[in-house]
Amino acid sequence: MSDTEQSKPEKRGMNRRTFLKVLGGGTAALAVGVVIGGPTIVREARLRINQAFLSGDAPTSPPPESPFVWIEIGADNQAYLYIPKVELGQGIHTTLAQIAADEMELDWQQVTARQADTERGFDPQLIFTFGSTSVTSLYAPIREIGATLREMLRVEGARQFGLDVAAVRVGNSAVFVVEDEQRRLTYGEIIAAKQGEWVLPTTQAALKPSSEFRYIGQSVQRVDLRDKVTGRAMYGYDVRLDGMLYGAVARPPQYGATLKRAAAGDAESQPGVFAVVIQDGFAGVVAESRRKARAALEHLDLEWEGGTTITQPEIEAIVSVPREGGTLIQRDGDVDGAGGRRVEAAYRVPMAIHAQMEPQAAAAHVQGDRAMIFCSTQAPGLTRERIAAAIALDEQAIHVVPTMVGGGFGRKTGVDVGVEAALLSQAAGVPVHVGWTREEDTRYGYRRPPAANFLWATVSDAGEVLAIHHEIASSDILLNPQVGSAFLGTVLGTDPLAAYGGLIHYAIPNRRVVYHHCPIPVPTAYWRGLGSFPNTFAIESFIDELAEATSSDALDFRLRYLPEGELGERFSTVLNAVADASGWHERDSLPAGRGLGFASAYDRGTVVGVVAEVSVTDANIRVERVWCAVDPGLVVNPDGAAAQVQGSIVWGVGSALIEEQVIANGMSTSQNFDGYPLLTIAQTPEITVLPISSGDTPVGGLGEPVVGAVPPAIANALAAITGRRFRRMPFRL
Amino acid sequence: MQLSINGRAYEVDAEPDEPLLWVLRDALGLTGTKYGCGLGICGSCTVHLDGVATRSCVTPVSTIEGRAITTIEGLAQLVDDVEVLHPVQQAFIDEQVPQCAWCMSGQMMTAAAFIETNAAPTDEEINVAMGANYCRCGCYTRIKVAVARAAELARERGEA
Ligand code: FES
Ligand code: FES
Repeated sequence: MSDTEQSKPEKRGMNRRTFLKVLGGGTAALAVGVVIGGPTIVREARLRINQAFLSGDAPTSPPPESPFVWIEIGADNQAYLYIPKVELGQGIHTTLAQIAADEMELDWQQVTARQADTERGFDPQLIFTFGSTSVTSLYAPIREIGATLREMLRVEGARQFGLDVAAVRVGNSAVFVVEDEQRRLTYGEIIAAKQGEWVLPTTQAALKPSSEFRYIGQSVQRVDLRDKVTGRAMYGYDVRLDGMLYGAVARPPQYGATLKRAAAGDAESQPGVFAVVIQDGFAGVVAESRRKARAALEHLDLEWEGGTTITQPEIEAIVSVPREGGTLIQRDGDVDGAGGRRVEAAYRVPMAIHAQMEPQAAAAHVQGDRAMIFCSTQAPGLTRERIAAAIALDEQAIHVVPTMVGGGFGRKTGVDVGVEAALLSQAAGVPVHVGWTREEDTRYGYRRPPAANFLWATVSDAGEVLAIHHEIASSDILLNPQVGSAFLGTVLGTDPLAAYGGLIHYAIPNRRVVYHHCPIPVPTAYWRGLGSFPNTFAIESFIDELAEATSSDALDFRLRYLPEGELGERFSTVLNAVADASGWHERDSLPAGRGLGFASAYDRGTVVGVVAEVSVTDANIRVERVWCAVDPGLVVNPDGAAAQVQGSIVWGVGSALIEEQVIANGMSTSQNFDGYPLLTIAQTPEITVLPISSGDTPVGGLGEPVVGAVPPAIANALAAITGRRFRRMPFRL
Repeated sequence: MQLSINGRAYEVDAEPDEPLLWVLRDALGLTGTKYGCGLGICGSCTVHLDGVATRSCVTPVSTIEGRAITTIEGLAQLVDDVEVLHPVQQAFIDEQVPQCAWCMSGQMMTAAAFIETNAAPTDEEINVAMGANYCRCGCYTRIKVAVARAAELARERGEA
């Protein structure tokens, strides 16, 4: 793996083979979809058209092969876009609908965004909504399919007018006669009047030039907010099924403990209890209310064994640097032979929890050989896979409906609560809802991996940085078998997601990065920002230390070591923009006790620059203001982008100042928000977001790349104020 | 027991110490009121009791019989069968505040009760009034703007 390979923006668009097929008959609605099949490496697209599906109600039978983008236009001219990503609050339903509507020339008033599920618009890998990849991966395919549909409607519209295609124009969900704009047929009318089967063009229709975009690049209002402000939006915790009862599950006293012995005890005779379910390694209760189910758990006769007694210092000893060995993930030049004076520092990021406001929740109805699951999940494909294994059903027999998600941040994969609801429903023979308590969510999920980073660099007498060495130690993300695969680790020698953001993109002649895989007996996995969070903290703090060691301005230092080419230009624009907006060059005029800190980030295609203004009074650190310039390539929805950045900054400030999960005797010491407070409105800095659109394609995401740049900007500001370095989160004076 | 919720009478069969939150959500299906912590810390479960913002997760249902309960489902008004959003709801859409929105029923109920008592709040007063409502998505910047906007909208409507 070399730096150059890794730091390139993601390949634009998708490389895929397209084949087309016409299905069915009837004239009620036109639906069109495209499949990207197979493992993500072998990408193949199949475009499929089907006139048989009516808009609205669930299809009588699922399409033989569900395309990942499913678009229907009914005779009423309403376009239903089945969005193949889950709405976590990031506004993805709106953003993807904007892209489709633009290319299809839809009237925004006639667009309805709906959640795709396992029956429509489902691809188990693609629907996994994480890693800030939704827009970059879908921008090109959605436009291509939109253009195809638009051109088919244009051709058919012209035919129905008895005119040449050149004599009509499309716009606002209709086809117009150019000479006489009063004559128009809506898409719905064209579809209703269509005789015979639709024929798909054999070549890809041309995409609109960006100068003609109507929705892409606009701050279109979110499509999901009316339901959200009226309380109508349906989340996993809100699902109610006929005859549904409530489940609760016994939890181990320590991580890794398993049931040595489990018996019903007198749980069955407790009030309101419907069933006690004991299966290998699992004990739960189904009752008429959540309270009664939880109360009855206390009456089970359980004995746990094994489990870890690990404590916080032991975890930090396991996840530590510097150390021998490790896997080389970047090597440019000869670090050891570069010579020069050595500067070094070590950084640490503790465990933290997601604390998404909606705890884990799912409802399941398992009936013989089929199952229906409603779940707050970012990963419906993974949820289905884990449920299928747990209840011994074919994946195809399990219908997963992703609900609105009350915060994800990597925690909502449905691999725990979805499985629990399904197991309980199967055993009890009734629909069962399982909603975790905050205490369960705080203690029994997986959490942000603890990480430790060690950097050293050598500097010449003239102040040139000659070499840089970075060592990363982290526990698992993708190698956690609950959500990923431990096997991968044996192949790669790294956890690729924990290594994110760990490469050095600064143009220092000799560079080396080593990853140490440090598993701990406490479950860790996805968290907002993945590895780019601790790695960006370490690198960007160290860059500030290097700037100081070479008597350079932190901005000048970064500009001097920019990567070459287009990426360097994007960096330069972003860094200068945030410096200008924040008054970086005039920071000497700030009063005593106040200072600015600079940080940047490059995360999966997105370039970020952050300046934090911090004040220190007595024992109190306060982040007063944060400026952030961010360039993800093309910005599809500037206001939505700003919202993601604002949220990321709040998240970063909370992590930097407050959050830490501590383990004692093999269990989290905090149970609820009393032991794990979150940042509040009063602690929130004033935030300025500068979205920068570069190029005509989205190349990076927005939900995560900013998070990692916030703590180092704060730490660097603290160093400017106090003269001390803050190398361990959360920062304490 | 009898509960009056959003102007409607409900007959509920609940244990006296059952928190109002779970009666609303599980017994009555009013799932717009959200659960976040059960300890009175996060504010997700906020409803109005006789117009006062109250955390339903720590309110035993037996203590509120006969009082007027308003939940997020009852915040908008039906005028000639058309749903007219409360100024707070309108402002939260105008300012595009919610992200995941799990916290938002609580935020809006807190804000709605607050602007009844303070028609032109300052930033500082908003920080205090909204200071114990968590939002993990980090919508605080917009909440601040939207609460001020809601107060303004309410004034405009009052004058109209
Ligand atoms: S759920 Fe009531 S305050 Fe958190
Ligand atoms: S909008 Fe998600 S917690 Fe507030």
